[in-house]
Amino acid sequence: MHGFHGRLLHIDLNSGTASWHELQESRLRAFLGGIGLGTSLLYEYAPPGVEPFSPANPLIFTSAPLVGTGLTTTAKFAVVTKSPLTGFIADSLSSSYFALELKRIGLDGLVITGRSPAMTYLFIHNEHVEIRRADHLTGKSPGETESLIRSELNSSSVRVAAIGKGGENRVRFATISNEGRHAGRGGVGAVMGSKNLKAIALCGNRESRVADPKGVEAIADSLRQRSLGSLTDKYRSIGTVANLAVFNRLGSLPARNFQQSTFDDAEALSGETLTENNFSRRHGCASCTIRCERLFKSLNGEEQRLEYETLFALGPLCGIKDPEVVLRAAHLCDFYGLDTISTGGTLSWAMECSEKGLLPEANKLGLRFGQPDAFLAAIPAVAQREGLGALLAEGSRRAALELGSRSSYWAMHVKGLELPGYEPRSLKTMALGLAVSPRGACHNRSGAYEADFSGEVDRLRADPRRGSLVAASEDFAAVLDSLIICKFLRKCFSDFYGEGAELLSNVSGWNCSSTELRRIGERIHTLKKLFNVREGWQPDDDWLPQRLLSEVLPTGVARGTGLTSSELREMIQGYYKAREWTEKGFVPRKKLQELGL
Amino acid sequence: MENNQTITDATAIILTGGKSSRMGRPKALLLFDNEPLIVHILRALKCMFADAVVVAAPGQELPPLPATVARDEVPYQGPVGGIYYGLKAAGGEFCFVTSCDAPFLNVALVSHLLSEISSCDVVVPYWQERFQPLHAVYRKSVLPLLKDQLDRGELRPVFLYDKVRTHKIGEEEIRRFDPEGLSFLNMNTPTDYALALKRWQEVRQRTETETASSPVSVTVELFGVPRLLAKTKAVSLSLPQEATLSQVFSALAERLPILVGRVISSDGGNLFSGYACNVNGLEFVRSPSAKVNPGDRIFILSADAGG
Repeated sequence: MHGFHGRLLHIDLNSGTASWHELQESRLRAFLGGIGLGTSLLYEYAPPGVEPFSPANPLIFTSAPLVGTGLTTTAKFAVVTKSPLTGFIADSLSSSYFALELKRIGLDGLVITGRSPAMTYLFIHNEHVEIRRADHLTGKSPGETESLIRSELNSSSVRVAAIGKGGENRVRFATISNEGRHAGRGGVGAVMGSKNLKAIALCGNRESRVADPKGVEAIADSLRQRSLGSLTDKYRSIGTVANLAVFNRLGSLPARNFQQSTFDDAEALSGETLTENNFSRRHGCASCTIRCERLFKSLNGEEQRLEYETLFALGPLCGIKDPEVVLRAAHLCDFYGLDTISTGGTLSWAMECSEKGLLPEANKLGLRFGQPDAFLAAIPAVAQREGLGALLAEGSRRAALELGSRSSYWAMHVKGLELPGYEPRSLKTMALGLAVSPRGACHNRSGAYEADFSGEVDRLRADPRRGSLVAASEDFAAVLDSLIICKFLRKCFSDFYGEGAELLSNVSGWNCSSTELRRIGERIHTLKKLFNVREGWQPDDDWLPQRLLSEVLPTGVARGTGLTSSELREMIQGYYKAREWTEKGFVPRKKLQELGL
Repeated sequence: MENNQTITDATAIILTGGKSSRMGRPKALLLFDNEPLIVHILRALKCMFADAVVVAAPGQELPPLPATVARDEVPYQGPVGGIYYGLKAAGGEFCFVTSCDAPFLNVALVSHLLSEISSCDVVVPYWQERFQPLHAVYRKSVLPLLKDQLDRGELRPVFLYDKVRTHKIGEEEIRRFDPEGLSFLNMNTPTDYALALKRWQEVRQRTETETASSPVSVTVELFGVPRLLAKTKAVSLSLPQEATLSQVFSALAERLPILVGRVISSDGGNLFSGYACNVNGLEFVRSPSAKVNPGDRIFILSADAGG
């Protein structure tokens, strides 16, 4: 087999045993790797209705066919499990050297089930699997854990992914972190913590071969060239933080828990201002020519990675205007292993409840919009589930249900996952994409905002025809996430499905057509939906927070723009129609047969 | 300004309460372009600002004005007093302050100063090695500090600049909007007045000639890489009638050559594929042959909104 190893490793922490299993080529061709393979394995390994923190909930790491080919931006891996935040699929991506090492172990998938009696970590060295004690690592940050394990194993070639205190304490939006990057959304770190698994250390030398090395090299060269052109200039020159100023001007920057879509102090936090005042260093993942990561220096000299989503969520969303406070908050989230979007989303919910008099405990702590001290103090409290932190560690949906009253109105989530930094009322295609996404409010599993920012549609008006745009964007993302190719390279393809099919054929030796690749995208997306349906999805789950459907935007160029329930309902109907699903959003048998599911 | 509308969250303040001792008669009432100077200046500012305040000395004679008239509670406290009483009466959060003896207001420069206030408290031009406190933007929140200054008798505005977030606009930046710095030309003596009238005739003739061929004025706002390269957030451009986006890009390329080859194509007529254009924050426009309208604000941003 080319491009894959054709096998998976299953580790059961209950029994402390490891077993290797063959992965059929037909399955890999149907789902590729990454998110596609991960979804397929989740469907197989998760018992229907499993509790996310149950030992039976599988935590799945997958590699992908393009990993290790040298093709730019492909050093990535996926983590898939049942989300403790949403109760549906959690599919997260991370990248860099851990991804390369995962493939060099000689596997396409790693499935972890069970729970260790005490905190442990896994050391996998090719076929050799060791479960090691991790008492001494308890409470350490992911970065500290990584260093300690590498020195303990006395090997600089070992690569480590770990959880922080957030994961250990089952904060429902905890991450798994490697080399400063995170599998961030949906609480995959909390599932890892529930298994008493602090870290996974990898060291391998099993190379996978590609079918046509020259063909792969030719495409890799071409894409490398293209990756250095105008289409990636933003990522190479400023990084994703460039979004903040322009989103603000377009009335698409959520602020103060989505009360506004502009932020008065946006310029102070803009990527341009940060670049001028705080830029420290540019960094990139392994095998990446774009190198979008930016490290910014705070006044005390510490370096901190910052992405747009982190900047938005820990800045305007919480009313925070001081870049120093945002950098500090981002550091705390990294240190404890917390998803910055859900952290910001949950804290901004608490701030609004505090200001509205519903959460006296938060008010007493001074947790209000724009108040830095209480904001910074809340992050460790969440990670350690101390005081009010215990409630907030549950995420905004559960916290609001527990608090009751009208507090759910201010919980800005879809399916339990907090919203990212794209204001749905001024980005109507995105509004639909967020509402129907299987993993909840997510900007990565579809790029529905792309249509809004392109001039292809009127971003301020709802329109039932957006359904096909959202469906196409989800399928495209599913293929990218399963090959895996970073989305920041996506615009460098002139004919993605044509070039992607050629690339996959050169890697795997299959004669894959663009039609087949499109179908693979649809199949993967549909399987995510099937998993959710199996776990109890109901039509009401495809919806947006009530605030977005009740309040119009009060400021900026989109002032006066809103989104009504009937507009959203029509767009969702248009989406189900485009997907050829039933009116209620279920997948008909005919569609399953058509996709071979 | 935005979408051809007046600015609603900012106020224009005109100080008229000086002694006019060297001029020998009240400057506010000097005839300029066949109308009292204060009317002339207010007319120019009312095109931009919905709210305007005229600050005058107690009992000072003024013609009827479409503005709030605030009186100095204590007369002749210099510019700090005028700014203080003006800010106190202003409805907007930000205020552009000018004096009634500077007739050559440049709308593009004033607009630029306002666009810079969001992350600071004062935006003040620095021209020929001097601050220009009476052609500057102040956040209303500086009021208590001005009051302290008045109490201490610190009547020079520069004392304020050290205490708040002050953004100094340098000469190079000013010249992009007002190459000769006419905005800062004020009149203190009858000779100054005569020269200004002569200058006004020249400027008007020049403007009339240009207006016949270049009636479309637009503002280009830069985001991301273009902003970092150009080291400015916005530029105003004058274009021929019926101008297209392609002509906007060409004029921008001429004004900011550093964008050529990176953001704007080498022939100047289009953007590179990594960049997009949005008009007035509403419509993303892909065709370079699309026409622009007077007062349009054209955003140049990355074509990729991924984050």
